[in-house]
Amino acid sequence: MSPITPDDVTRREFLETVAKTGGQSFLFGSLFVNTALLRLPQAGADPKSRAEAEVGKGIVYGFVVDTTKCIGCGSCVRACRAENGVPEGYNRTWVEQYTFYPDGEVFVNSPNGGENGFADPAPTRNKPTGPEAPMRGFFVPKLCNHCIDTPCIQVCPVGASFKTDEGVVLVDHERCVGCGYCVQACPFGSRYLNPETGTADKCTWCHHRVIKGLLPACVVSCPAEARIFGNVSDPESTISRILATNRVQVLKSFLGTRPRTRYIGLDSEVI
Amino acid sequence: MRHAGHFVRLLALVVITVVGFLYVRSLVVPKDFGVKGHFRLSAIDDEGKREARHIGSDACAECHDEIGAAWKAGKHHIPQCENCHGPGLLHTKVVAEDSTAGYTDKILKQFPKAINPGTGITECKWCHLKTFERPSSLKYIVNVEKHITEHQGTFSPASRCIDCHNPHTTVVKR
Repeated sequence: MSPITPDDVTRREFLETVAKTGGQSFLFGSLFVNTALLRLPQAGADPKSRAEAEVGKGIVYGFVVDTTKCIGCGSCVRACRAENGVPEGYNRTWVEQYTFYPDGEVFVNSPNGGENGFADPAPTRNKPTGPEAPMRGFFVPKLCNHCIDTPCIQVCPVGASFKTDEGVVLVDHERCVGCGYCVQACPFGSRYLNPETGTADKCTWCHHRVIKGLLPACVVSCPAEARIFGNVSDPESTISRILATNRVQVLKSFLGTRPRTRYIGLDSEVI
Repeated sequence: MRHAGHFVRLLALVVITVVGFLYVRSLVVPKDFGVKGHFRLSAIDDEGKREARHIGSDACAECHDEIGAAWKAGKHHIPQCENCHGPGLLHTKVVAEDSTAGYTDKILKQFPKAINPGTGITECKWCHLKTFERPSSLKYIVNVEKHITEHQGTFSPASRCIDCHNPHTTVVKR
């Protein structure tokens, strides 16, 4: 230890230097953060304009759910289970029943994911007639949103979750170690741990059918044409025309995950 | 330089560790990992190898041509065969006595020909039972008992929709 000499840094100098460099780094840092923030997807961004931005980029798949057409028959749920061998008690797609009562109560019901259809009225509140009869109601089919900015892929520690060039989010069942991080990360509850394989599982938009030129099983089986699947990059495709002529919305847009599954006629109560 | 031996040993240890790590990594990480991103590229093909179990109504009509033609011409042509009868892939394999038939879901244990013949009422209720949320444009039934008595029938617990209605064409039999 050498004794302190006047050549050493005084307290004043030290504090000045700290303030200067600190201030500079704060300025630069905030500049960087600002630009980074600007690049973030805007939460309320119109999903249709994103579809338009994808035109001519090769095949980019999209999915539209028309909630105004869904009759809640559960055909999609049964078809999905059979097509993909989804174990009992788990769902890759499911249908939710929303019932609105005059006193402001909203009941959301999805018995077995809607696999066996729905009872009338929702069994949670058995007042079918009179002033307490439900005012309005509808069905909302749910499935994987195949987000552009996926939380589920980010958290995978082994690279078992990924996105193809067509925008489909898939699971590599050979690499997956079944840690379940992605199941927790998905804000839409689209994933589950398959008890038969021990790996994470999810809706693939029936990738194995689509590459054979077929439509996803839920789309084929829907008798109400409430599910539309296709190439959003092709402006002549059915889905592009539907996206161009309808007001569409996505689930939980405030999370900024930019879902590729878009909804027609979504109510504000639907989350 | 009397301590040079220490450095040589340390360097050797580092080299062995690095080389060993790289060797093990090359064995563990698949060749096509990281080609297009942080994933195994051939996983896309693995996913695509699965067979499509829903074969489509046109495939059903290849054998069941009479029902297929009547279904296509009738009012019930929007719901597909497999909506009520279940996926047809295993059925075609079982009927063709293809020994490669191979998915072990409940449908094979349940039905000997690997297809749901239909109960004649459960499948109808999926779409036609009245629920408040269904659009009024859909033909639905509020009360089966009332419906049967209104049409001069006799209701019994064993009554089935297909006793009167042809499910393929919606034509009323009597």
